[in-house]
Order: sequence, then structure tokens, then C-alpha cells
Amino acid sequence: MTQLDQCPSTMKGEKHKPGKADLAAVPRDVSADLTRSAGTVNGQAAWRSVDELADDAGFRDFLEREFPAGASELRLAEEADGADAASGGGATRRDFLRVMGASIALAGAATVPGCRRPNHTIMTYSRVVPEEIIPGKPLYYATSMPRPDGGAEGLLVETHEGRPTKLEGNPLHPVSAGKISSWALSSILGLYDPDRLKFPTYANPTRGRIEATWDDFRTWAGGNLSAFATNGGAGLAFVVDKRQSPAWRAVTARLRARFPNAAWVPYGPGECAASIEGTRLAFGRSMREVPTITKEGTRVVLSLDREFLSREPGELPNQRNFAATRLVLGPSDSMSRLYCVESGFSLTGGQADHRLRLAPSRVAAFAVALAGYLLPKLGAPDAGGLFGALGATMPEGNAARRFMQECADDLLAPENRGKSLILAGESQPPAVHALVAAMNAALGNIGVSVVYHPLSEDEAADSLAGLGRLAAAMRAGEVDTLVCVGTNPVYDAPGDLDFAELFAAVPRTITLSVDRNETEAASTWSLNAAHYLESWGDTEAIDGTVAPVQPMIAPLYEPALSELEFLAMLAEPDPTASVDGFALVGAAWRAAYPDTSASGGFDRTWRRALHDGVVPGTARRPEAPTVDQGAVARAIGAMRLPEAPSADRLEACFVVGNVGDGRYANIPWLQELPEVGTRTVWDNPALLSPATAKALGLEPAGYSEGDPSAIYTKPKYPQARLATITIDGRTVTAPVWILPGMADWTVQLTLGYGRTVAGRVGDGVGVNVYPLRGSAMGGTNRAAWGATVARAEGSYMIASTQNHWSMEGRTSIVRAVDLPAFQRHGAEVQVVMDHFYGTRANINFAERLGELGHTPPTKSIYDNPFNRSDADPDPANVDEGNRDYRGNPTPPAYTQRPQWGMTIDQTTCTGCGVCTIACYSENNIPVVGKKEVAKGREMSWIRVDRYFTGDVHDPASMLHQPVACVHCENAPCETVCPVNATVHGPDGLNYMTYNRCIGTRYCANNCPYKVRRFNFFDYGVAKFNGDYLGHDLIDKVGAFIPGQEGITGSGAHNTINPNLIPPRLREKIDEISKMQKNPDVTVRSRGVMEKCSYCIQRINAAKVECKLADIKGPDGRTIVPDGFFTTACAQACPSGAISFGDILDEASEVFNRRSNARSYALLGYLNTRPRTTHMVRVMNPNPKLVDAARRHSWDDPFHHAPAAHGDGHEGGGAGHADDDHGGGVGKDREAPGGDAGHGPASFRYDRRKLIEDRGYAGSLRVLSAPGGAAT
Amino acid sequence: MTTIHPDQLTAQRLAGVIPGRLPDRPLDPVTGDGTLIDDPAVRAPLVLGGHSFGEVTDIICGYTENKPPRWWLPVFLLSANVAGLGGLFILYLVITGIGTWGLSNQVDWAWDITNFVFWIGIGHAGTLISAILCLLKQKWRTSINRSAEAMTIFAVICAATFPGIHIGRQWMAWMLFPIPNYNAIWPNFRSPLLWDVFAVSTYGTVSLLFWFMGMIPDFATLRDRADRRLRANPQGGPSVLPFVPVRADRLRALIYGFLSLGWRFSGRHWHRYEAAYLILAGISTPLVLSVHSIVSFDFATSILPGWHTTIFPPYFVAGAIFGGFAMVLMLLIPARELYPHMKDFITLRHLENMSKVILTTGMIVGFAYSMEFFIAWYGGNVYELFAFENRAFGPYWWAYWTMISCNVISPQLFWFRRCRTSPVIIFLVSLAVTIGMWFERFVIIVTSLHRAFLPSEWHMFHPSLVDIAIFVGSCGVFLMLFCLFLRFLPVFAMAELKAVMPQASPHAHGHDHAHPSRASVVGAHGDRRGDAPGDPNGHPAPPPPTGGH
Repeated sequence: MTQLDQCPSTMKGEKHKPGKADLAAVPRDVSADLTRSAGTVNGQAAWRSVDELADDAGFRDFLEREFPAGASELRLAEEADGADAASGGGATRRDFLRVMGASIALAGAATVPGCRRPNHTIMTYSRVVPEEIIPGKPLYYATSMPRPDGGAEGLLVETHEGRPTKLEGNPLHPVSAGKISSWALSSILGLYDPDRLKFPTYANPTRGRIEATWDDFRTWAGGNLSAFATNGGAGLAFVVDKRQSPAWRAVTARLRARFPNAAWVPYGPGECAASIEGTRLAFGRSMREVPTITKEGTRVVLSLDREFLSREPGELPNQRNFAATRLVLGPSDSMSRLYCVESGFSLTGGQADHRLRLAPSRVAAFAVALAGYLLPKLGAPDAGGLFGALGATMPEGNAARRFMQECADDLLAPENRGKSLILAGESQPPAVHALVAAMNAALGNIGVSVVYHPLSEDEAADSLAGLGRLAAAMRAGEVDTLVCVGTNPVYDAPGDLDFAELFAAVPRTITLSVDRNETEAASTWSLNAAHYLESWGDTEAIDGTVAPVQPMIAPLYEPALSELEFLAMLAEPDPTASVDGFALVGAAWRAAYPDTSASGGFDRTWRRALHDGVVPGTARRPEAPTVDQGAVARAIGAMRLPEAPSADRLEACFVVGNVGDGRYANIPWLQELPEVGTRTVWDNPALLSPATAKALGLEPAGYSEGDPSAIYTKPKYPQARLATITIDGRTVTAPVWILPGMADWTVQLTLGYGRTVAGRVGDGVGVNVYPLRGSAMGGTNRAAWGATVARAEGSYMIASTQNHWSMEGRTSIVRAVDLPAFQRHGAEVQVVMDHFYGTRANINFAERLGELGHTPPTKSIYDNPFNRSDADPDPANVDEGNRDYRGNPTPPAYTQRPQWGMTIDQTTCTGCGVCTIACYSENNIPVVGKKEVAKGREMSWIRVDRYFTGDVHDPASMLHQPVACVHCENAPCETVCPVNATVHGPDGLNYMTYNRCIGTRYCANNCPYKVRRFNFFDYGVAKFNGDYLGHDLIDKVGAFIPGQEGITGSGAHNTINPNLIPPRLREKIDEISKMQKNPDVTVRSRGVMEKCSYCIQRINAAKVECKLADIKGPDGRTIVPDGFFTTACAQACPSGAISFGDILDEASEVFNRRSNARSYALLGYLNTRPRTTHMVRVMNPNPKLVDAARRHSWDDPFHHAPAAHGDGHEGGGAGHADDDHGGGVGKDREAPGGDAGHGPASFRYDRRKLIEDRGYAGSLRVLSAPGGAAT
Repeated sequence: MTTIHPDQLTAQRLAGVIPGRLPDRPLDPVTGDGTLIDDPAVRAPLVLGGHSFGEVTDIICGYTENKPPRWWLPVFLLSANVAGLGGLFILYLVITGIGTWGLSNQVDWAWDITNFVFWIGIGHAGTLISAILCLLKQKWRTSINRSAEAMTIFAVICAATFPGIHIGRQWMAWMLFPIPNYNAIWPNFRSPLLWDVFAVSTYGTVSLLFWFMGMIPDFATLRDRADRRLRANPQGGPSVLPFVPVRADRLRALIYGFLSLGWRFSGRHWHRYEAAYLILAGISTPLVLSVHSIVSFDFATSILPGWHTTIFPPYFVAGAIFGGFAMVLMLLIPARELYPHMKDFITLRHLENMSKVILTTGMIVGFAYSMEFFIAWYGGNVYELFAFENRAFGPYWWAYWTMISCNVISPQLFWFRRCRTSPVIIFLVSLAVTIGMWFERFVIIVTSLHRAFLPSEWHMFHPSLVDIAIFVGSCGVFLMLFCLFLRFLPVFAMAELKAVMPQASPHAHGHDHAHPSRASVVGAHGDRRGDAPGDPNGHPAPPPPTGGH
């Protein structure tokens, strides 16, 4: 593998790439150079000693002239003190660095110690090998991550020789419970981001931005902040990340006590403000609403534009708990029902049993109408004139009215009383949240399925309002010094504040940030923060659980301060005094958790907390406050809803996408994670419903129903139209894409894209829509009315991982049935006999829904020793016929434990994509960039397929199907590989041998699941978006090629796809990025195929451990007990939809699920015998809300389409715009005449429509009725 | 104007009985150049022009010995440049990665394997002509077999390039070969791609042997003629290149002498030669059928609808012969126009015969296309049927209908005698067939892959510049090699050609003129004396009547 060349000589050559040497020399003025060179400044060792690099004589001279007198003396004095650093406490950071430099020289880069000890002594492996460390074996440490939208997640960090490589959920943390969100998973890349801030920079008024040191800053701060000590901080302002924890509270209290007059703005652009304000209205105080869904206590859930399954602080428990209510393993199991009224098409909407699409303001009207219908029926007292305020309105439109009534009746049903939950989303005004609280209270849900936790003042503060007040002060010139800590208001402030200009006018601005961002680039002082994996701290989850934040590694770019330490430093009178996060946390905890323990005292608590990752007993007791109906009535009365949206008055809703509020923009995994619904990557196109796009002339190029021939002249890649979106006079030009199931006249905008200073990944990706937000938008910052969308000149390339929207009639792919059908037929087993061939097969419920129910069982005419099926002899029978290659008798293959397998439950899978990210993290999967994805070259080993069913204008459902290598027992890939690179293992795995692979790609062609991924380029070893030789020349040439801008996902860097540059001329991946790689998994070179390996490194590690632990099964062979380990995807899956284990272990979860009636083999009719089986999606519709045809199909789900309510009316959707579930069985669904039994009805398709299908976007036409009009 | 009719006069002239050449022929509307005789009583002459054996030797050796025609150098340089450019793109491909092609994880093969199958198919005509037609004693093959075999070799060279470069790690291509190693890792003998390696290398080897062995006597002739000129003029003769003091004849004598492997025209040589030729023909005959069958297994043994088709082996073989003959015609029609006297050897009858083969195999291919649809429908597998409907009416409909019009419709012109005897029309149809056969492979590969089992992975293929450049480059390689062949190698098998000339018949003089070529049944024995170095004028004596009756 030449691409993995470790030879020092080539490394040396590589290090002398243009730009680095220059920078190391005298880069005094780096402002111009910063864009390109900052990322390359780190050489092999520079990650620890970058300021040493700059610490030459010229720089010191400069500093002496630059900074106040005495500053340099102080530095010199400090250096002089270095002599007695060895004596202990007096050691400075510079001394530490010096020692570190020597350690590196001694130990070599491979054994750099990582984990910072509590006592701050650094030892190298070459001196003393810590007792618990076995080289090559990872250690796991508990820590936690504050979520950007509030709350926290508990984590377990896999560290290899002190190097954190992967984050996993902490099983002991009550919120995480072993699961993890995609943000937390990928935050490891934030640690190893090569574009991170590595040293402070200072905007010199005369010389531009220069490199500086923390000592410079401390000296500067000592002079410049001292004035505030006397006036209590008047003129000083802080914009800090919103977070809460004991240490944070202690430090900020000290800071605010020192500067009582300073403006204090806790700021989180993606926060849940409306919900908190709603609780203030309803209960008189700000609280956090925490759903506590349980299988027993939650039978009906109504979501009013609330995406409670993802992108909110409680996503992990919500997914986990909601999945528990949806888990149907037997026909007698019950299942919750989810109603969803929403404006976009979210994950939650995809899970819904009934879904109604309404513009945000109409959702609010729906909520009012629902309350007006529901509350009087509940017999709730009409206190405070609430009923009067609600009026007797009804939702507009028959479908909405019927939906509302049936939903309300369902909520009112006796068996559901007190066992339901209504949730309102961030697009809803606070009054609606208050009203929902009132409804929950009236239904008796509060305390059962939803609880409330009190919030601190900081958490309850409205970010946008606070920022608005600050902006007013800045405009008035009252702010002299602005300190931004972990926030990026220059980028994400609402558009009406003109914050960037105001910020530039502030005389002194200080920004502490881990990664590069717009605010630090515009600040006087840009300070490099320590990542949360590098620092001490603590977090508080939504239920109040406190967890420690432990450093997993010493700050990579030392010196660096965490946010906590930085604020503590500012709170000190002398900013040059050293601060220590360890001490801060210890002090705060000592104060917060006084030593009450009878045994051990605080130290024991402390050690226990560090070990477990949670402080026991800190979860708050949930409160069940009473609703002030009068206040709710007043709020409802004050709520002003606009008229129904129309072509010139659209409604806009803002959603948080994969990159969060923008802070994860430089994390390539998240950029390449397909967005919900559209499956687009590296972009945030504005989303419209197909009808709205058609009415506004914004359908994607090639999707013009009036001009079919345009499809053939369509460009190579999908092209979106550009549009100008205007809200309150603020305009943004963005590409427009269509998403079926969006509310009409609603535009959905995704926050967090369009960063201009983020790094080589995030720069220029997508469009920044924050300017469209106002600081006060009718009480919610996630929705706006009165938007206009007008077509602009030009088009825009969109990259999507999935070019087809529907199953194209192949309903056996994602099989979906209604719960009643499963209850009636789930236990039946069909015996399929083929008298001609004399074969016989037992077909379970799920298989009956597919092809196997209609075809004779596939029977090979040859004896296959590797088959184990009903038709084959008893596998336990060791006969003489089975011999291994040495001729010794052996049991048939696949009969000896362990035999690995997986099940994926499509009912509980929400399609969130965490499995994909977990797999990226575990298996060193490279990202490829936008243009490569557009070419169909994404590398994800597990992908989530998304299919819409039903009418394009009102899809019945959005089905998700995670697909990874299914490890076929009869693997089609294995027979065709000419070099034996993919072969079968004795435990049922389909091995992929990278060393042997020469890349014929025949296996991928023959793989029916298309899960094999080919390294078309040096994705794994070349630097993403990196520099290359001849950049300027190629840039000039590339500029002549039309449509090339932004093609790598990052318009700011390359005009051409850098993958096309020969690898020798390209920059190799940064050393720092390599640190994230899992050392147990090969980094693949170009030209080899790769695919899911069932995390074979984990399998083998587990086998070794079990062998060492002497765990034996009944036959005396070593076995791996169920739950001993699992794959990365199954481990991360928040809803537990993925099970992995030994399919011969009858006690295992995977055995139970595999033998479940819902388990089927995807494309099983090909006789591939996949080891990964999928489980039928079960939906639980309200019988009163479905049409008769669908109800009838419950009696015989096999001979009507299993998803008759879905694809079934592909042909006839036009007439059912008003009917929530269409006209039932379409004509193409009819079983052939006279053949009531075994026609291929379940996988019939409308040929006419299939042939019509022309790929991208055009495939929507398959779904759509001709000429569907905007409503 | 004289109409040439297969009357006695003509037959006598053709047999060389009546002196004087045929005029530079205005073509007869009925018999063309005189070979398109319908009269079953008259066997059409295979060589025109009334050349003596010596003249034939002079003409054919002259192609290599004289200055090339004026068009040769530009064509050669152009094709060599195209080939070189293609080579540079291959270099770029190897350096940078397969991603420079337009492939994706959904469509993992496209132009690469299309080109491979296309070129392999081209090669089939050569083997068919040299082996099967030889065994079937089709005398008309003698004029075209050498160039068809050359074309086979060149096509195999082009074809073998693509499997070699289409893999992800080209420098690891040796892993395809069963090389004993201490890890005991063998190739996967179940993989059709491995069978391809064996099939193509066997095919290439046998074809090369066949081609080379057939040229040995002609090399010897060339050697002897060069030697003779050298003896006549030891210092003279043209230089190889300006300012290079090496005489061309010296070089010729050396190289052709080496290549002729000591051939001395002895009877024993001829005897061995004949036996070996027959054996090689016997070996090659199954190869004609096996190679493309095995290439078709690449697809037929997979599970992909549109690939998994049992009709593939015969259908591919027919298609290969179809495409191969079209390519032979595309090369020979211009060549016979451009080289002097070549029309005397490659007559309209040859073109017509090949057109008939094209018509026949074209209809076999057309039948196969329709049977694919029929079986897809009759088989009752909706996914299979979808795959074929998608071919015809899906996003790549244009490729499918290009294929149908080129491969099925355009050869139907050959039902008309006028079309199959008009070199221009034959050339155009052959061009269409060549294009169509390329598209056939493209259609099979890409349209099947781009709509496989899961709609989520349905994806389009768009070729990149590198895709196109490498294919065009392979065409350049092919044409360049063919130019070199025309320039430096004996384009016709002289001995065999003489054996089908009227003079070769022991009954050629006078009587039995109605069967002027009857003697040629015997085989090529006759020209030893005519080409003997001691006979510088090359005027042959009639061949010794050694042929048995």
C-alpha cells in the first residue's frame, strides 16, 4: 500500500510543501495568509509547539515594541523562573512545553502520552508505563458533552495510548443510556480539526492580524480590563454559550459579581426559546419541558410541528422511549400512535401514523382549534376565560378538520386518558406551548408522559432578545469591550441587528473559540480555546444530572483555556494568574455536593463520578406545576396569527440541520450526512413542496412536467433553481429544492450553513439563512410569516445520496403493514409447497408480504454445504459427509457458534443517521466531498434509504431503511471476485481483504444491495480539500469550466475537484487528522473495495477476551455472550433498532428478532440468505382515519399491497388531495383476475410509470399525479 | 463500353490464356468487377487482373518495399498521436485513480468493460476467417485472412488493455494470474473474470501464432528479395532514414531473415507448414466460440437482471463475428482503394461475401435482442422485464435505439445486391455496425447496472473526458498498428493467394476453362519456383502439379 507510505523520507518531502516554510520563517502579518496557511502550519510535531515555532528573535523584538512596557520583561522573567520549574508548583506552561518537547524527542511521536493526569505530571511511556495500559488495547474514560441546544450527553471515550479516537454513549448516564447523538459522535473531529485555532492572534491597529501568545493576552487584559474593575464592568459585555452546570454557575457568578454592570448575554442561536417562554406563560416560571414517554404511560402522541426525535436536547431519551412504545414483537403487543401536524417533513413526521401538513401558523390555529374542541370535553374548569379565548374555530379544510376531531377523540378515549402526550415545536409561538401545557394538564399527562424541570435564569434567557438588547447598547456606543465565549454572533445573529457592523465598531473585542469562526476573525483578540475533550468541566443534562467533563488529552495547541477557565481568569483581578479547570470543578463540586457520605467523603464521590461519568443523585425531582389558565387565555388572546399563506406571503420555518447552529460546519462527517427527507449533502437548499415549487416556477431543472424532453437535456448533476427569499426586507439568495410532504406555501430554511470562516471543510458550504431571521419574530425564532420567494437567475448543483424518491412500486423492499393486520396474521406461518420439485418452505408473516409468498422456494440442485435452511438436513447432525479441507469430519458450516447476524427494525428506526456517523467514526471511513457524492461515490458503509409512498403532494409516509452489507450466506460478490479478496468466514461473515483486492469492482456490480464502496481516489489519505502543486495554475484553468464553483462542498478553496489531481501532487492528510483514526481498522488505499465488516475488529477483540476469560458454551467451545459487545451502529442507534449478535444463541436479542414474524430478508427471493434481516415496519393508524379499502386490507394483507395506503395509490393520487390517505387500492394494485391466491400482486408495479421514470427529480413524477396543482 | 461477362473470353483472360490485362475496370452493372457471377456454372475468379505469379509477388512485396502511398504517413502520424494521447490519459488514470472515469458505486463498470468486450468482439472475424473458413475450404478467405488476423491481434491488444487498466490497483494486476506463492493464495477459479484472463490470453496467443506462422513463407520471400537486391548492389539501396547510413535492404534482410526462421521453401517445410496450419486452425476453431462465450459469462453468471441471461454466449459470439466482419470491411475497403492492385485481390465478391456474413449474424443478433424481451416477458419475472423495458424506454433509450438501428436495421440493406456490392454503402453499414456493437455492450452494461434491485441506488452514468480519451486512444492504437502492418508486413498470404489463381490449376491451359480455379482446391504449393531468389524477374513457371486430385 504505497498510499500509506510511512517512510520518513517521503514525509520529509511532504512537509516542505509550499507555504509551510514561509510561515515558519517570519509570518508577522498573517491576516492575509491566514486563510490558507493556518491550516498547514502544523507539521508533524507542531501540534504541540506551534508557538515555539514562532518564538524566534524577530518575533520577540516585535513583541517588545508592540506590547506595553514590561510585557516582555515579564516573559523573560518567566523564562528565567523556568530553572526551578522542576521544583513543582511554580511550573509555567512554557516550562511544561519545554519538557514536552524533550519528551517527544525521547519517546517518538508514536508514544506521545495523551491523558492529562489530575496532578498535571506528564510522564512518557518510555519512562514509566502506566499499570492499566496495554499498548494496542483501548481504554475508556467517562466524560460528557454540553449540547449546543442545552442539556448534555454522557460519553465514554475510547482512547488509544492516550489518544481519544471515538466517542460512545455512557450507559450509566441517564440521558444517554449508552446512546449518542450524531453531534456528540462527530465532535471528536472538532478536537482534531486541522483548522482549529492554534494560538491567539491579535488585530494590531497598524500591522493587521498578528500571531500572539496567551501571555501577551494576559498582559493586555491586565491593562485593558483593569478599568472595569472600578466601574463594575460598565461598557463590558459578554456573549457566552448557553450552558449550565455547578462549576459554570460558580465561575459565572464570580465573574458577574466582579462586573455587576457588565452586559451578560447567554446566547444559543439554536435554542428552544419558544418552549421555555411557553412554560413561563403557563406556569409562571421558566421550565424545561421533558417528555417522559413510557410504554405503559404513552399511548397517543400528538406532535404539533415538534421534531422531538432529533435535534433537541432530549432527542436521545425521546428516541429511546418512543421506540419502546413502538416495539411490536408479537401479535399481542400494543403500540403507541403518533399524530403529526407539521410544516416540513421531519423524522418525526416520517414516524407518524397520521400526518397532516400545515404551514406553521396553521399549526398554531390547529392547536387552538384542538384545544377548543378538547378542553370542554375533558370537563376541565373554564378558568381565566380560556375557553372563550379559544373560540369555536375549526381547522380549515375537511382533511384537517377530520384529522383534528379523530385525533382529539383518540386522545379522549378512555383507554388513552392520562396516557397521551401533546408536544409543540419551536415554530410555534409561546402561547401555543402554553396551550399545549394546558391540554396536557387537562388530559392528565403532566407528571406521566411529560415533566418539567426548573431552569436557571441564564438558561431561561431568550438569546435573541438578549442579543437585541446588546446590539442596541452597541449601537449607542455603550459597549467598550465585548467578550464572546464559545459563541459566533457575527455569523449567526439575526439579520435585523446588523451585528457584524456593530461588532466591528466595538473598540475591543475578545473571542474565545475552539474552531475558526467569523467572530474570532473579526475580533481584536482571537483566543484558542481548549476543546471539551481537552479540559476539565462539568455538564448538566436536561434532567439535572451532573456529569464531569474530563480531559482525554492535554490541549493539542497548548496553551489553551477552556471556556470555564477563561471566564475564571477574567473573574480574577489579575488575569495573569493561572487558572485550573480541575480546581474550578473541584471547588464547585465541593460546594455543591457537601460531604454527606458516611463512607469515603468527597474524594470517594469525586472518584466515583469520574469513573461513572455521572454524579449520583443529581437528577432533579421532576415537577408537575399547575397551569395558570388565565395566563394561557391572555397569551392566546394576544396571539396574532397571520392569514393563510399564499403565493406572495409564504411562511418560513427555520430548522436546525446536521451541522447544528453552524458550529459543526467544519466537521465533514456531518456535512456528508444526508439531510432528512431530501438526502442532500453539503448544502442547505430552501425546501418547498412540489406544488409550491411548481407554482413559483422553482422546480428543479429537468423536472418540468410541461416539457418532458428537458429531462434528457438536463445537466449531468441535479440542478436547483436559485431564488431570492425575502423576509421583512432582508433578502438571501438560495437554491431551492423540493421535498414532498412539505406544507404548501411554506419554505423551510436550514440554519448553520454558509459559513465564511470555518475551515477548509465548512467554508462556503450552503447559504447562510440567519440574516433572514429577525430578533423578534412573533414570539418564536423558528418561524416567520410574510416571506416572498422569487426566482433568481442561475442554477445550483445539488448533491444527493439518493436520486430516487419512491420504491418505484417495489413494495417488498420496505415492507409496511398496519398493526391490525399484524395482530390478525402475525402468528400465521404459510407452508409453501412446490410439488413439482418436492420442496417445502415455511414462510412467516413478513416473508408472505414479499415475493417468497408467491414463488416456490428456491432450491439448489446442488448440495451446498454452506446452506442452513429448512430444506437442508439437520445441521446438528455431524455426518461423515462433512469434512474439512484436511479430510477430518466436521459439522456443517454455520452450525457452530458464534454465527453473527443483525436485525434492523424498520418500525423503530427513525432514519436519524447516527449509525452512519458511528460507522464513519469506528471504521475510518473517509468523506469524499460534494461532487464525489453527486457522482455516487459516498463511502458510508451503512446508509439510510428513504422512500416516500403515496402522492407526491401529500406522501402517506416516509420510510427509512438502513442498509449495510447484509453478509449473505450465498454472497454474490464472493463468486465473482477473481482474486479471492472477498471470501466467507466460518462465522458467517463476508470478509473483505483489502490487501488482496485489486479493484475490479465486479463484486459491487453483482451486489444486489449495492453496499460496496469503492475507493475511487485517495480519499483516506489525501487531505480533504487540501492544497496541491500547481494550485494557482489549475485554479486559473478551472475558472473557465462552468459550474465548478463549490463542487467540493467548499467553494472557498478549490475551483476544481482536487481528487482529480494526482495524489503525489496533493497534500496528504494532516497528522492531526490521523490521530482520530481507529488504529484497529485499516485506512484503505485507493483502488480497493470496502464495505461493512460487522465491525470485525470488535468481534475479534471480543473473541479474544472471551477466550482469555474462558467463557465456554455447553459444547465446551469458547462463546461470546450476548451483549458482550456490539457493532458501532447498533451501539449508537438511539432507538435501538439495530440488534447484533450470535444468531445461534437462542437467548440473544438478535435470535429473537430474527425469528420474529416481522423479520424478512431484503431481496431474499434472490436466495442470498442475508445475515442482516430487516423487520417489517408496523404502523398503528386510527381505524377511523383510514379508508375502507385499507381497513379491508387488514383482513388479508398479503393479496393487496402491503403498503396499499402507500404506493398503492401511485396511480390515483390526484383526486385525493382532500383525503388524508388517498383512495386506497389503485388500479395497478389489483391482483390479476381469477388468481386470488398467488398472483405477484405484492410486488406488481405500474410499468407505464416505471418507464416514465427518468432518474433524478423526474422520479417524483412516478409518485405524482399528472398536473398536481398547488392548493 | 465493354460489358464484362463471364463468357469464355473473360474466363480465358482471367486465366491468363489471352494476354493483356483487364482494363482498369469500369464496373459492370451485373457482375461488378467480374467476380459477382451469378451463374452457378461459372466459378467466380478470386484474383483479378491476370497477374502472373511474379507480378503478384512484386505487387504484394511492393507494399512493403516501395515508398508508402502519400496518405500513409499522415494517417499513421494521426493515429499514433491519438494513441499516444490515449496512453497519456492511461498514465493519468493509473497515477490518479479510477475516479477520473465517470463511474460510481452504483455503476461500477461502464466504458472500460464496454471497450473490452467491443475490442474482443472485433477480433473474432480474424479467427473465424483464418480457422473456420480454412477448415471449410472457403478459398475466398485467402485474400483477407492475413489482414483479418492482424486486426485480431491488434484488437486483442486493445482489448487486453482495458481489463488491465480498469482495476483499481493496476500495479497489482499480477494477482489475477495463478502464481504459486507461499501464502497459497490462488485466484478465485469461480470468477468469470478469471476465466476471461485465461480465455483472452489463450486466444491472443493462438491468434498470434497463427498469424505469425502464416507469414513465415512471406517473410522468407521478402528476405530473399532484399538479399537479392543487396547482392546486386551491395553499397546502394535507400537509407532507412535520411542521414542514417543503414541500408533499408540490409535491415530488411536482417529482420525478415530473423522472422522467417530459416524458411527455405523446401518441400518438407511446406509439408510441416501445412500440417501446423491445419492444427492451429483446429485449435482456433473452438476458440472462436469459447472466447466470447466466456466474456459473456462475465454478465451471464451474475445475478443482475439484464445480465443474468442464458442466451448470452451464442448471442455474444454472433455479435462478435458480426462486429468483427464489419471492422474488417471498414479497414479493407479504404485499403483496397488506396493501394495499387489491391482490388485485384480483394474483389467485390469478397466484400459481398462478408456483407452476407454481416447480414446473417446481424439477424442472429436481432433475434437475440427480441428473445431477451420475449424471455423476460415469458419468464414472468417483473424485475427482469423491467430491466429490458428500461433498456428500451428508460433514460438510456437513445443508446438502445442506436444499437437497434445500427445492428438490426442497417444490415438489412444487404438484402439488396446493389448495397452489398457497393463499397461505399458497405463501408457505411460497417461503420454503423461497429458503432452499434459498441452501444450493444454499453447498453448491456450500463442500463442493467443503473437500475439494479434497490431504487435508492439507482444512478446515472456520465462518461468523463478520461473515459472518452482512453477509448479514442485505443482506436488510435488499433489504427496505428494496422498502418504499420500495411507498411511493413506482407498484407496477403502470397503463397495461398497464388494457389487460388487460375495458373495454379493444372487444367488452366486451354480446356476446362469453365472451372478455372478447380486446381486451387489442392492448396498452396505452387510458387516456390516463381519466388525463388534465382529468378529475379519473378515470372513464374506454372506451379508443379503436385496437388492431388
